[in-house]
Amino acid sequence: MLAVLSVEVRKLNRSLALLLSAAAPTLIAVFAFAMVLRSEKPSEWSMWIGSATAIWAYFMLPMCVTALTALVAHMEHGPRSWDHLRALPVPRWTLYASKAVCVIGLVGIMSAAVLAMTVGAVVVGGFVKPEAAAVGRLDLPAHAWILAKMTAAAVLMTALQFWTAIRFASFVPGLVLGIGGTFFAVVATSAKQGVFMPWQMPVNILATEAWRAQTALMLGGGLGMVVLAAAVIHLARREVR
Amino acid sequence: MAAIETEGLTRVFGRRRVVDAVSMCVPDHAVYGFLGRNGAGKTTTMKMLIGLLRPTSGVARVCGVDVGRHRMRAARRIGALLEAHGFHVHLTGRENLDLTRRLLGLPATEIDRVLEVVDMLRDGGRRVSDYSLGMRQRLGIARAMLGAPPVLMLDEPTNGLDPDGIADMRRFLRALPQRAGATVLLSSHLLGEIEQTASHVGIIHKGRLVVEGELARLKADLAPEIGLRVDDTDKARAVLRGRDLTLVEDAEGLVARLRPGDNHDVVSAALNRDLIQAGVSVFAIAPRARSLEGIYRAASATTSRRQETV
Repeated sequence: MLAVLSVEVRKLNRSLALLLSAAAPTLIAVFAFAMVLRSEKPSEWSMWIGSATAIWAYFMLPMCVTALTALVAHMEHGPRSWDHLRALPVPRWTLYASKAVCVIGLVGIMSAAVLAMTVGAVVVGGFVKPEAAAVGRLDLPAHAWILAKMTAAAVLMTALQFWTAIRFASFVPGLVLGIGGTFFAVVATSAKQGVFMPWQMPVNILATEAWRAQTALMLGGGLGMVVLAAAVIHLARREVR
Repeated sequence: MAAIETEGLTRVFGRRRVVDAVSMCVPDHAVYGFLGRNGAGKTTTMKMLIGLLRPTSGVARVCGVDVGRHRMRAARRIGALLEAHGFHVHLTGRENLDLTRRLLGLPATEIDRVLEVVDMLRDGGRRVSDYSLGMRQRLGIARAMLGAPPVLMLDEPTNGLDPDGIADMRRFLRALPQRAGATVLLSSHLLGEIEQTASHVGIIHKGRLVVEGELARLKADLAPEIGLRVDDTDKARAVLRGRDLTLVEDAEGLVARLRPGDNHDVVSAALNRDLIQAGVSVFAIAPRARSLEGIYRAASATTSRRQETV
């Protein structure tokens, strides 16, 4: 499994998936930097990081998972390399499992990058405009913990997007699912039932009601792992013509 | 032991029987030309041989290993170049080979070894997006040779190549059993390609294996033919009607298909004499070389007749 995983990581070298992984957190950091420059008075660190985390969970994370799964799957669909891979003397489930691990790993790295780059952007913004520099205590472990929980809550959504992207050679089904899921997550943010919707689970980690955060984490993470395992088994067993 | 062997291999898609009870035998160290029209069932058969498709019925064995029961063990004995190469174009040729090498758990020196066999040591560091189609084909063969599997399976390896590339590839394929010490199963829909490359041949027609054997032997068994160019083909037909032969017409003129064992020279002299006596001018009369095309035509005609009878 480790050999297959190392091959997946190597495939990311100079790939669009890697570019996307860098671009998405950068956009949030650029936005935070612009907001600091726009501010007339200082704000708390918790406000800056909280905003960035909310933007990430609310919109950017679901869209990034959609694009990332599509790009990672297209690395094999594009050159039609599934036949080559599936013909090798390697257990087929490891091919799909390592890809899934790669995607979840990239989502985790992107989440960490959102935190690191936002802190960096706010610090640089404070140098450029000292009167708007962040004040108060920067509780990095607490913010990192929230982002870690968001990543875990996103596993169910990631598993669904991953299965769709690998199952269908075309970009379209995965994009429709991802855009549709994100759309309903955005327009129905305040709906109580939203916590049961995979695309809304990450943002529910920020909910003030404890049960919502707990439900999002348990369903998104726990059920997500089960769905991911089922997806890997199904993909490995199906016949690709 | 045969390198590849199938028994009653069958695959049905819906109501369509794409491969129908194929029993083939590829001898060790042969270059086996697997010939058939597009859609005849070549690729489906090959996909069953490498475990990508499950047979509806029948058995496929690679070096004695049952592909259906022990896919991984069989896969270790076979290297394949499939129609779609599956290269990551943003990576170099060497990096692409390295991905497969790691999956196979082979030492890093394997990459140089296979690049040398396909004469691509100098180009290995370039991105695959900069490769010509011929270079991609050769890189695909190099990848199939990683780990020196005893069987190489190449699906239409000259597809899309220019005439020079085709000639190079044919030379390369002919030398492969010696260079790589492997048995080669080569699929193609081009008669000339198989004829110039293969030592053995299997012809698949509408999913059924209609002819199989050593190419030289199959040619020897073929009925001798004599080509005729005359001024009046209708009159020539009438004159030769009484003789024990089959007359057909192609782009080059009349063809007299003799019975197996007939002597070319004796029959040619007799035909010439009859035609001259009947007042038919004979411009040319000569034995036709026995070709794979002849084998293919005969096999196709026999199969079609059989199907019409059924």
